[in-house]
Amino acid sequence: MIKTSAKKILVAMTAAATIGAASTSYAEEPIRIGGIYILSGSAATYGEFAQRGINLAVDEINASGGVLGRKIEMEFEDSQGKASVAIQAARKLVYSSGVDALIGLDSSGVAQGLVPTMPELQKPLIITHAATPDATGKLCNSFTYRISVNVAQNMKAAALVASKLDATNWTTIGPDYAFGHQSWEFFGNYLKDIKPDVNLMSETNFPRFGAEDFTPFIDRVMDSDADGVLISVWGGDLVNFVRQANNRGFFDKDFELLFTVGAATEVLSALGDEMPEGVHLSTRYWYDAYDNAVNTHFVKAYIDAYGVPPSYNAEGAYAAIYAYKKAIEAAGNTDGAAIAKALSGMSLDAPNGTITFRKGDNQAMVSPNWGVSGPMNPEYGIRTLMDLQIFDGEEVARSVEETGCKL
Amino acid sequence: MKTKILLAILAVVMVGLIAVPWIASYFYIFIFTEILILGLFAASFNLVFGYTGMLSFGHAAFFGIGSYAMALVLIHLEWPFLVSLLASMGAAALLALVIGFFCVRLNEVYFAMLTLAFGMMVFAIAYQWRSVTNGSDGLAGFSLGSFGFGLDLTLGNPAVYYHVVLTIVAIASAVLYVICRSSFGMILRAIRQNPERVSFAGLNVRTYRLVAFVIAGAFAGLAGGLIAPFLRVASPELLHWSMSAEPILMAILGGTGYFLGPFAGAAVFVLLETWITSFTESWMLVLGIILALMVIFFRKGLLGTILDWWMEVKK
Repeated sequence: MIKTSAKKILVAMTAAATIGAASTSYAEEPIRIGGIYILSGSAATYGEFAQRGINLAVDEINASGGVLGRKIEMEFEDSQGKASVAIQAARKLVYSSGVDALIGLDSSGVAQGLVPTMPELQKPLIITHAATPDATGKLCNSFTYRISVNVAQNMKAAALVASKLDATNWTTIGPDYAFGHQSWEFFGNYLKDIKPDVNLMSETNFPRFGAEDFTPFIDRVMDSDADGVLISVWGGDLVNFVRQANNRGFFDKDFELLFTVGAATEVLSALGDEMPEGVHLSTRYWYDAYDNAVNTHFVKAYIDAYGVPPSYNAEGAYAAIYAYKKAIEAAGNTDGAAIAKALSGMSLDAPNGTITFRKGDNQAMVSPNWGVSGPMNPEYGIRTLMDLQIFDGEEVARSVEETGCKL
Repeated sequence: MKTKILLAILAVVMVGLIAVPWIASYFYIFIFTEILILGLFAASFNLVFGYTGMLSFGHAAFFGIGSYAMALVLIHLEWPFLVSLLASMGAAALLALVIGFFCVRLNEVYFAMLTLAFGMMVFAIAYQWRSVTNGSDGLAGFSLGSFGFGLDLTLGNPAVYYHVVLTIVAIASAVLYVICRSSFGMILRAIRQNPERVSFAGLNVRTYRLVAFVIAGAFAGLAGGLIAPFLRVASPELLHWSMSAEPILMAILGGTGYFLGPFAGAAVFVLLETWITSFTESWMLVLGIILALMVIFFRKGLLGTILDWWMEVKK
């Protein structure tokens, strides 16, 4: 038993070594891309949906001749939502599996740890989900790009939504890590700018990521003077939160509620009609918000393959693979620095319109979507989004000077 | 004769370790750096567990505080690397003195539970003191400055860092080994076997235990100081009780009766983790099965079993 598995490992290692050696000498070897996502635990559906988007793009590209005549091959690693695990995973993908580029990251905390190490790895990274402004701000570097909406962009949009509401006393419930804290910080600053008479309450609520029990925080908000709540809880946590909030009668109170990533289809599918009607939900991409050929094709292909509409995480991952295709073709080779350079300032027709990686900070100018939850969509078992607002990517973005990024 | 052969094998292993950056693929530099650091962590734990007979469930507190001390010093004070390492050791030793003061009074399961409780407290502080420790995100984005001693080393280069780690771990292990073989180490072993007898012999068992606990804590802090620049982040999971389980697993895997057992255990642990996660995500299940088999059939651990077998055969 032990012998055979040892043998297998040896065979696998030899095979890996041979492939590794071969990849440098034959042009028809596949282009390898390494994906780092959360593949276990309460947010694992995000990793799974990203994989769906990636696989769709890879299959389409490989079926139509590949990139530079080479096929794309994916290799995935589980970040477990931990920075140290993700950094080791990136080293493994680059130095052991020999990937040409990296894509991924579901967590802001992971991004803050991994992004500063990218110049050492000398491979490009396209972030498809993690939203901390620092990744394309004070921690930015010439190898790191982001194709998804960041916290600053989305909170600018959130503040614009909130400024039109009656609420004056705002508080927050968010996960106790970079994402939750930065969401509140940016939201508060933008809202104060637009509407100086609002009161940002000092009692804030930051339950641990993966906390399971949110009732103490729900009760605290219900007992407070708040009339507006920014909720940046996400993933499996958000599903638990909404169920517990329903039990407590949280949604019967007259709060103005802003869910910063509430219209993730992962969450909407899990909740069905438990997601209340009439609350403000945001997403980085809503599948029927964009009327263009790329989106029509993407949504149809995705529904054909998986039976449900694509989530923003699937869309970001799908678009990132096409971004690499375009960049590698522009660079003419798979050298890490050359791909990264080709990405800078590059424009791409993605499902959410034509997007551009801004030259100054490598952040894609993409549009946050905000809407109000409406009646159920009977076909897919999720809430619809009414009064959909598609914010202009450039308008909600910080200026390059404000990001603190120096490239 | 046997000692000579063993020394020769050790020398070959040492030469092999020095040569890793030239003979192995680039990725294995990272693997061996991790093995060496975790090996030192496990060896420091074994001073308390294998030698003194105290099962601590909170050893990660010292490893973690060492990594936080390193990160904080690099971010705020920008001291040279070697001085920062001393800060890691010092912080961990101080913490071990405080925790040990309360814990060494208790025996067996009470000792284990109290170390676990203190470990959780340290974790909670790191997790919640956001302004200093950056909460659950941990401290990242620090840059490695100079090495110290006026040596011009690029610590950001993984091969250079590997050799730095190898040198420091080798020196630290030698010091630990001397401590274990000294009369002090002998008394620790005697305490493990029969604390009553040691105290009847007129020795203060508590003091000996406390000193062992502090030394082990200091070396765990050193290992923590080495892991932060390697992982590029000092995060709460380094302090978590599940991290305290790792040196226990490594020590048992390798063998608690031999000084190098925990190093062998760390090597097996890290290599298996790397290989198995390439095939499946359920690496913990595989580890559990291996560990159960080890405890049932090879009580002396991998290195212990091999060395005992070899001693028998060669008779």
